[in-house]
Amino acid sequence: MKRYIYINHDDLAQDLYCDNRISNRKYTLWNFLPKNLWEQFSRFMNQYFLLIACLQLWSLITPVNPASTWGPLIFIFAVSATKEAWDDYNRYLSDKKANEKEVWVVRQGVKKLIQSQDIHVGNIVWLRENDEVPCDLVLLGTADPQGICYVETAALDGETDLKTRVIPSASMGIDFELLHKIKGVIECPSPDKDIRRFDANLRLFPPFLDNDMCPLTIKNTLLQSCYLRNTEWACGVAVYTGNETKLGMSRGIAEPKLTAVDAMIDKLTGAIFVFQIVVVIVLGIAGNIWKNTEAKKQWYVEYPNESPWYELLIIPLRFELLCSIMIPISIKVSLDLVKSLYAKFIDWDDQMVDLETRIRSHATNTAISEDLGQVEYILTDKTGTLTENKMIFKRCCIRGTFYGNENGDALSDAELLNAVSTGSTDVIQFLKVMAICNTVVPIQSNTGVISYKAQSQDEEALVRAAASLHMVFVNKNGNVLEINFNGLLLRYEVLDILEFTSDRKRMSVVVKCCLSGKIYLLSKGADEAILPLARSGQQTRTFSEAVEQYAQLGLRTLCLASRELDDDEYREWSLMFKEANSKLVDREWRVAEVCQRLEHDFEILGVAAIEDRLQDGVPETISTLRKAGINFWMLTGDKQNTAIQIALSCNFVSPEPKGQLLLLSGKTEDEVCRSLERVLLTMRITNTEPKDVAFVVDGWALEIALKHYRKAFTELAILSRTAICCRVTPSQKAQLVELLKSCDYRTLAIGDGGNDVRMIQQADIGVGISGREGLQAARAADYSIGKFRFLTRLILVHGRYSYNRTAFLSQYSFYKSLLICFIQIFFSFISGVSGTSLFNSVSLMAYNVFYTSIPVLVSVLDKDLSENTVMQHPQILFYCQAGRLLNPSTFAGWFGRALFHAIVVFVITIHSFVFEKSEMEEVSMVALSGCIWLQAFVVALETNSFTILQHLAIWGNLVAFYAINLIVSAIPSSEMHTIMFRLCRQPLYWTTIILITMAGMGPVLALKYFRYTYRSSKINILQQAERLGGPILSLGNIESQSRSLEKDISPLSISQPKNRNPVYEPLLSDSPSATRRSIGPGTPFDFFQSQTRLSSTYMRNSKDN
Amino acid sequence: MKEDDPTVLKAEYSPSDGWRLTKIESSPEELTRVDEAEEKFTQQELPACKPILTPGLVITTLISIGIIFVPIGLGSLSASEHVVEIVDRYDDACIPSNGDDEAAKRERLSFIQNAKTNKTCIRNLVVPKKMKHPIHVYYQLDNFYQNHRRYVKSRSDRQYRSPGSEGDTKTCAPESEVDDHRPIVPCGLIAWSLFNDTYGISTKDNPILINKKDIAWPSDKNSKFGSNVYPKNFQKQDPVGGGKLNESLPLSEQEDLLVWMRTAALPNFRKLYGRIETDLEADEKITVVIQNNYNTYSFDSKKQLVLSTTTWIGGKNDFLGKAYISVGGTCLFLAIAFILTYVIKPRPLGDPAYLSWNLNSATR
Repeated sequence: MKRYIYINHDDLAQDLYCDNRISNRKYTLWNFLPKNLWEQFSRFMNQYFLLIACLQLWSLITPVNPASTWGPLIFIFAVSATKEAWDDYNRYLSDKKANEKEVWVVRQGVKKLIQSQDIHVGNIVWLRENDEVPCDLVLLGTADPQGICYVETAALDGETDLKTRVIPSASMGIDFELLHKIKGVIECPSPDKDIRRFDANLRLFPPFLDNDMCPLTIKNTLLQSCYLRNTEWACGVAVYTGNETKLGMSRGIAEPKLTAVDAMIDKLTGAIFVFQIVVVIVLGIAGNIWKNTEAKKQWYVEYPNESPWYELLIIPLRFELLCSIMIPISIKVSLDLVKSLYAKFIDWDDQMVDLETRIRSHATNTAISEDLGQVEYILTDKTGTLTENKMIFKRCCIRGTFYGNENGDALSDAELLNAVSTGSTDVIQFLKVMAICNTVVPIQSNTGVISYKAQSQDEEALVRAAASLHMVFVNKNGNVLEINFNGLLLRYEVLDILEFTSDRKRMSVVVKCCLSGKIYLLSKGADEAILPLARSGQQTRTFSEAVEQYAQLGLRTLCLASRELDDDEYREWSLMFKEANSKLVDREWRVAEVCQRLEHDFEILGVAAIEDRLQDGVPETISTLRKAGINFWMLTGDKQNTAIQIALSCNFVSPEPKGQLLLLSGKTEDEVCRSLERVLLTMRITNTEPKDVAFVVDGWALEIALKHYRKAFTELAILSRTAICCRVTPSQKAQLVELLKSCDYRTLAIGDGGNDVRMIQQADIGVGISGREGLQAARAADYSIGKFRFLTRLILVHGRYSYNRTAFLSQYSFYKSLLICFIQIFFSFISGVSGTSLFNSVSLMAYNVFYTSIPVLVSVLDKDLSENTVMQHPQILFYCQAGRLLNPSTFAGWFGRALFHAIVVFVITIHSFVFEKSEMEEVSMVALSGCIWLQAFVVALETNSFTILQHLAIWGNLVAFYAINLIVSAIPSSEMHTIMFRLCRQPLYWTTIILITMAGMGPVLALKYFRYTYRSSKINILQQAERLGGPILSLGNIESQSRSLEKDISPLSISQPKNRNPVYEPLLSDSPSATRRSIGPGTPFDFFQSQTRLSSTYMRNSKDN
Repeated sequence: MKEDDPTVLKAEYSPSDGWRLTKIESSPEELTRVDEAEEKFTQQELPACKPILTPGLVITTLISIGIIFVPIGLGSLSASEHVVEIVDRYDDACIPSNGDDEAAKRERLSFIQNAKTNKTCIRNLVVPKKMKHPIHVYYQLDNFYQNHRRYVKSRSDRQYRSPGSEGDTKTCAPESEVDDHRPIVPCGLIAWSLFNDTYGISTKDNPILINKKDIAWPSDKNSKFGSNVYPKNFQKQDPVGGGKLNESLPLSEQEDLLVWMRTAALPNFRKLYGRIETDLEADEKITVVIQNNYNTYSFDSKKQLVLSTTTWIGGKNDFLGKAYISVGGTCLFLAIAFILTYVIKPRPLGDPAYLSWNLNSATR
């Protein structure tokens, strides 16, 4: 499908496409109620409760007052509807703000200030410097005479550098005034989300130009949400508007996230539901049989001889209602409550405050804290997430002299400063290369302060460093560079730029000195790409040593070199270069070849070392989380080399021989397929070896692999604990998340830029770093944190506690519901299977909503292990990841406990209160008290740490139970008038209660003790170690001694779930103190090179980037 | 962190301004105790007591349960032993035919359902041990489902309480009103099936007075049943269920009805008939004159007369004592078992060697 856009045609075809109104809203005022109710009722639990509530309206079958179900139900629904409405209102407000922003648009040939939402396709939009682009535009004119403008695309793809955009050749040179009147047609594809492609044609109508089609590419566009920078004005025609822009299309609707715990609870609920149906059917049949054989004889029941058609259904339905409490309605309320408290704990945490910006961590999504404890894969962005996104020139080695070794900063090294001021030629040449050999754009502000915009952070660092050493890159005027050295203005004309590719690993510029007319080739690049090309006779050993030394320190190194060219040589080469550049086939490769002809016989000038500062604690964080069994994937839009550098320096992958990198690359399907097979093969072999294998893939190969070899790639994804994906687009990031999710892994995506938003929304958990790239990621994310290292705490402390607490709370909720329900079932056996409720409405409602909810709610304060212990033994997270604390078998334990306790309560009650004491209300109250006592002790037994609040809630609840019942007993009209007073006076009551409690808890205590001591889990051992004091100290020592480099191959007592690859062993248990042992460019790590010839073709082909 | 600089910034999101940093002022000196407590709560660092199940703790607990429970059990067993109880099943003896065949059953039914037959029946009982007053006289019904759903719900407390709610008989079906739609007071199946056997007890020489005052719960008399609600249209129409009521007495004084209307949760139950305020000597022969009116013959049931003394745990009931002794015994047994395992196979608590990740590296 194509769309044709008529430029500046106010009355033509405007209605065909939507206006520029952005809408992220889910509801409108009118559809809110039905839509919201529909959504709420699409959950099984809600349907169930609604059904029960409706059945209860039929008084023939209801055992209790219908209000006991309707009240909580309406309350629950009101709460979640209000929450939804509030969120949607906020979305509406932010949309409105964006929509009502004012922009200059040409209307009837005149520029007018209109609201952003009124822009239509075909309108010409005028932007000024630092304006945000309101919709996708095709550039028509800029202030720059050459038709260039600069945009910042951080919001779109997360890259902070400035990008150049040019106007299409057709509109080149059109006068400012005439731009208002320009007419034409653009043929472009229907809206899509590909932010790297825009294949369209432009034809201007006379009188502007001839009828030639002018091709348009992404280079000619200004996309929504970018910022116009460093350009006075620009104008363009709107091609995509509103939600149809590239950004709008890639903005997926954030689906509500469901945690694994929630899914498990739903599953268990389903199981209970099936169980309930079975019980109902069995009891229903039994009830009908009993009615027909026994009850008909019992004259006092006075069963009518004729019965309505639904007679047979009545008893089963009564049991259905009686058993409906098996699925506790309170569980949803309790879970929502505790979940918001987990989120609050994250917000409150003082240890997760970014000390520099003083920004607190924030949980936007309050519903998914448990998932943090179950994370298996972390997919992380690189720039700004792992690194601080600040490159700083630290040291250098010029002609064998090391600068900056003493104080760690060459810029303040007196020796170097001295050399600069004395005018040492070597140093000056070195500085010149630093200042010139780049693609940096200097921007001089009104106050005269020069700032640099660079595609590469390395280049920016070098230029800055040169500037502070008095070699200031002042201005770039077309091809002429101006450099101010100690007040002396030097001018160079850039003749050619030999661009950087990851294959060449170097870039060069050919410049002509305007003063002397001499032509120089200036190069910089990785050591292995420069040093071998030194002129014969130059010793490069000192440089190699320097590189080695810097790499040891974790610095990125660049070798700088230069060569003076003959005019003839250059002219000859220049022709070849032009020819290669205009080739249509294999251009990259040819250009590289031509470049090589010039880049030889270098005069090596020196080595510059740049620090790409990792964020604080990144290596430690990664190694700790690795130990906790979490796999890391790095997804970055950056170049392969840079990605690998960072990966090495932050413990992401290990250097040889411990680690191995497998390269997955290729340009065509075949190549990718072969590469994939090879990588897989190696992966399968090495999987049994204690080796840290990671695969590296670039965006192109990934695209093919995902499209055609999804299965093989999925297998690779499962086998590999580490992956580096470079040059991936935002939607590819999201696809990778999707892939891992489809393998049933819990994924956490962390990033900081707008390009991470989709991945963050796609992942089970999205974490945004509120960093330098703005707050888009933080806003889209479920959690926003200030620094990468807070991730440890977020997962190990908050995630783990949340999981543990929810696991207990949910199972306990089922336990207490089952307990009372079993008693009801047992009672039906002695009440003629007629569906009589032993408990009255008040007790039943209060039991579920009040007596049993409050003690368990304080379990949000429970800590099974102290935070320090968990941090020391991150492996313990395995229990959460594998879902050890909430699964069908633990649930069976609680089910059994409920059954056992129900038997205890029921048997003891009906045998103690026999004959003349078997009054209904009394028996019911004894059984209820028994349940309350038991549940108080169950909570107490399962609590690991008692704070004052827990004591208050557990024991206070018992007191409250008596207080409430005494009050109710004092009301004459209540069914249980005076019951509690009568009971409390009887010694029999108290002896019965004590008996129930002890008979119920004794075996549970004994069993728990036995398992705790003789079948103890790792959690138990750590608890014992932590609380008995002694061994915990030695524990730390053992831990530090036992940093095994190898994989845990032993038959672990902990078995792996789902037969996955080991997620648990501390593969990379590197000492956390040994940080940043990184490796500079050229330090050997093993790319998969077994078929050298083949892979060299890949290398050649992968140059395109 | 707070010590360096007491101000903390908080990032807040508002739809109008986006993200914004707010300063939260707090100074350590100004922290009150409440703030401190709040701080500890928000940081999840409230002081906590963290008990663990050490052998000492568990074994002590089990032993103390055992030591406390066994004596209590013995105590309640002996209390139960001291209760003197006479139980006499009379339903099969006070009926002319006792066969099992259908004819006998029909005969029994027609006997009991005929209002005209003489249903007086005389039982001779012997007091096994001296019974001190008060001696409670109960009737016991077995296999009688007062807890049947249809039965237990068929009542109207509002009607019983006040004369104004006379017509409030919705819940009483099928015994809510007579044919001409006048309400039955008291309505409902429970009242309608009122037990109506009577007992007269005498020794050789003189009758023993059975005191029928105050057999119902005081609360029932005072508030649950109105003192100005009189029976109306009760048992006036077929089918006639159980006993009839004296229409000149208000419901609150019909104590037999009040006792009956306290429905039993179990199918075998006793209800208080009256009290004997004199002692009965051992081996004394007593004669009971029973009016066997109540129909339990249409279903498989028993009627028994019970004379019983009481102690602190109530009537005769060995269950509690036995249960206490067995729970106590079990706890003692478990304690001993745990002590033995502890001695034979001690296992240090919290030994890091048991951690699998240490286990592996240690062996390497």
